[in-house]
Amino acid sequence: MGESINLAVEAKGISKSFGGVLALDNVNLELRKGEVHALLGENGAGKTTLSNILAGLYRADGGTVLVDGAEREFHSPSQAIEAGIGMVHQHFRLVPPMTVAENLHLGSPDTPAIVSQKKLVASARRMMDEIGLEVDPTARVWQLSVGEQQRVEILRVLARGAKVLILDEPTAVLTAQEAKDLFVVIRRLVAGGRTVVFISHKLNEVIEISDRITVLRGGKHVVTRDAAGATPRELARLMTGEELDNSVEHRTVDGSVVLDLIDVFARNHRGIEALHGVNLQVRSGEILGIAGVSGNGQTELSEVVTGLRRTQSGSISIAGTDVTGGTTRSIAELGVGHIPEDRIGVGMAGSASVKDNAILRHYRSSELSSGTRLKRGSVIDFAKRLVAAGRVQTRSINMPAGQMSGGNQQRLVAKRESMIADRLLVAAHPTRGLDVLATKEVQSAIVERRDNGCAVLMISDDLDEVMLMSDRIAVMYEGRVMGIFDRSQFDRERIGMLMGGQVEGAPS
Amino acid sequence: MSLPFRFARRLEVNNKRSTSYRISGAIAGLVASGLLLLLTSRNPIRLLGQSLDAIFGSQRGIEGVMVQSIPILMCAIGVALSLRMKIWNIGSDGQFLMGAFAAVGVGTKLDVPHWLLIILMALIASIAGAAWILIPALARAYWGVNEIITTLLLNFVALQLVLWSALGFWRDKKSQVTQSTEAVQAVLPRFPGLDSVSISFIVPIVLAVLFWFVFRSTRVGYEIDMIGGNANAAEFAGINVKRRIVTVMLLTGAIAGLGGMLQLTGAPGAQALSGGFSNRFGLSGFIVAALAGASFAGVLVAGLFISAMFYAGIALQTKGLSVYIIFGIYGVVLVGIAVGETMARFRLTRTDPTSAATTTGASA
Ligand SMILES: Nc1ncnc2c1ncn2[C@@H]1O[C@H](COP(=O)(O)OP(=O)(O)OP(=O)(O)O)[C@@H](O)[C@H]1O
Ligand SMILES: [Mg+2]
Repeated sequence: MGESINLAVEAKGISKSFGGVLALDNVNLELRKGEVHALLGENGAGKTTLSNILAGLYRADGGTVLVDGAEREFHSPSQAIEAGIGMVHQHFRLVPPMTVAENLHLGSPDTPAIVSQKKLVASARRMMDEIGLEVDPTARVWQLSVGEQQRVEILRVLARGAKVLILDEPTAVLTAQEAKDLFVVIRRLVAGGRTVVFISHKLNEVIEISDRITVLRGGKHVVTRDAAGATPRELARLMTGEELDNSVEHRTVDGSVVLDLIDVFARNHRGIEALHGVNLQVRSGEILGIAGVSGNGQTELSEVVTGLRRTQSGSISIAGTDVTGGTTRSIAELGVGHIPEDRIGVGMAGSASVKDNAILRHYRSSELSSGTRLKRGSVIDFAKRLVAAGRVQTRSINMPAGQMSGGNQQRLVAKRESMIADRLLVAAHPTRGLDVLATKEVQSAIVERRDNGCAVLMISDDLDEVMLMSDRIAVMYEGRVMGIFDRSQFDRERIGMLMGGQVEGAPS
Repeated sequence: MSLPFRFARRLEVNNKRSTSYRISGAIAGLVASGLLLLLTSRNPIRLLGQSLDAIFGSQRGIEGVMVQSIPILMCAIGVALSLRMKIWNIGSDGQFLMGAFAAVGVGTKLDVPHWLLIILMALIASIAGAAWILIPALARAYWGVNEIITTLLLNFVALQLVLWSALGFWRDKKSQVTQSTEAVQAVLPRFPGLDSVSISFIVPIVLAVLFWFVFRSTRVGYEIDMIGGNANAAEFAGINVKRRIVTVMLLTGAIAGLGGMLQLTGAPGAQALSGGFSNRFGLSGFIVAALAGASFAGVLVAGLFISAMFYAGIALQTKGLSVYIIFGIYGVVLVGIAVGETMARFRLTRTDPTSAATTTGASA
């Protein structure tokens, strides 16, 4: 019984199915007071579903949840939070035009009926002092960085007395520095006796921050173990049941120039100059990785190349064709695929079916349409083929794409875009939110494109990934290319210095 | 306290289920109306019998429903088309009126053979309907201005224009009834074998079938649905979203405008324009499109149903039932359908009584 005193939450035999598909099968989870407990598993393993059940968003079909030793059943998130369990979702649920103070009080039963901005700000400051997390309470949410917005979400949950904080892939959207800041916060919270559930696909990160790790596979509990002594390789094997080989072959290639940017200037969506005279060439058969802290023009670079954003000046050509000012469609027709950074907001329509999303790039092809008509049979065949080839796990191709797990949405978009990339593939954070196996698959798909002579422009804020995948690396800082490294010159330290804007790191 | 049952959201909304729920909703609404009538000591069964008799008892009843349905269906088809793109055209009443307005102008002033006049009127009415939504369409596509407000406001402008023409510059000076324009002389031929329905009844049917096909199996239909799903994704795929929004909205207006011309040249006794020319057809059309969930087969069914209900209402009024009661019944039935539509998205499941008891115990 000594053990159970220490348990903040004990979930026993949790099962949940969605329309006949078992997402969780008799899963047990014990959360101790004062620990960081990582949930690991492939895409679709059931991590988010389990968290949603603990946080009162979904109801389990079977099983029991004990909080502080007493059995509880939650009908809503507010009941869960009353019991001390709160969750921060991967997609924030803040109201962007409202201030931080207003957002913190929104929906809280403690908010008085009559409020003034001054009172809200004062009470927000009090909350922040108590918890030990700072964000300017008068700032409007849309003005905040992603890291700050996440902090507001965490504050909002903690302010309502959560003892158990569930963070669903909190670092997927953060820069390396923001992630470090978050870890400091997490350590402080558990030191104060709270429990943090941490979901991530980045294994190094998981080993660094957590005390114990629970691995789920296909909705089943595989193991719960101490984080100390775990290796990424071992965890990957537990998650997938397979041994993974994580290496990419590189060659020096001197293919012809496919993508050529000359002195390109462009503004970001707020009208501020984001690209200051970028010169860049990507050759056929190579992967050029862009390293940089996010927000230094990488997003705008990918948008300018694929026609989603206008340039102010400069020229862009693809395979000898000038595409400056070209439309997304004319550029795609040159054989350019684009895995966009914001797959949910830009890459797909969540309310439309998997099938409709699968054909988004191909529906004009003669395979799928004749004249103005879509060939319904071919559309279904095509979608099924894409789903199989991309290993997208979906119940049916008629299901809304937004109901698939995050990783499977990414697989769908990544496969669809690789398929049209005959000449150039622009991949922005292609493995964000993917589990180890899917990461490996998407990476292999990119390498396979390269080996077939496609030029690849890959953007990632994960330096490890850039170093693993790239044949050459260009470092971007404040909208400029600071230096370009050949594979033989790769040097983590010098690249890191350049990413911070220190020119001493530049290659000769 | 927890109930022994709860609603759980369904993952997929299946069309068949959704349809049967809507129909059950309509029936439930009728039953509820019956109970209300009982409370006011009227005999609902007898009134129902009278309604059914008014509609199906004679050829006149069926024809009356058909005549009633044409303008409603025309507006509903236009609205449904824009709803597929998640665009809310509340202004089909105004577009309908402008279509009729333009058609009256041409129809009463030009001296050409009637068949040619009919064609010209149809053309000009479509153009006028489209023109009436041009500014909302451009504003929505290029500056993101909410179309609900702009289209709604233009309804009032259209109505004023019609009143002004009927009472002022186009007023029929020969007539004793001084509140309408001159009547158009070119009218559509009757539907073979029918007394009061003109051949215009075919138009909404053809349009509905056409759009049903467009959204089932053409590229344009797919593109419009994708824009409705996520305009950013559509743009990503190279669909010219702005241009599509403008064309679809113009088409929406053109269909409503054509509806105005069909009414003017087809409906019995509607050959002149007056303030009461549109009996809120735009509003009814919107209700039909929304109830049908923007499905074109659904629009036909819902449009005919609502027209029958309106027609029965008129018949009951002549039998002495107050117009307020009739509006009340419309309302209850429509709410019934809307509730049915929502219920189709949920599923009733039994909550586990033992764990519910524990919850109460633990929180006490
Ligand atoms: N609302 C839903 N409707 C239908 N199916 C769902 C829903 N939520 C989850 N699922 C299914 O349940 C399974 C588990 O999904 P879940 O989102 O929990 O996975 P996950 O482990 O969080 O994956 P990821 O790492 O990709 O986020 C998947 O097969 C998914 O398709
Ligand atoms: Mg998840």
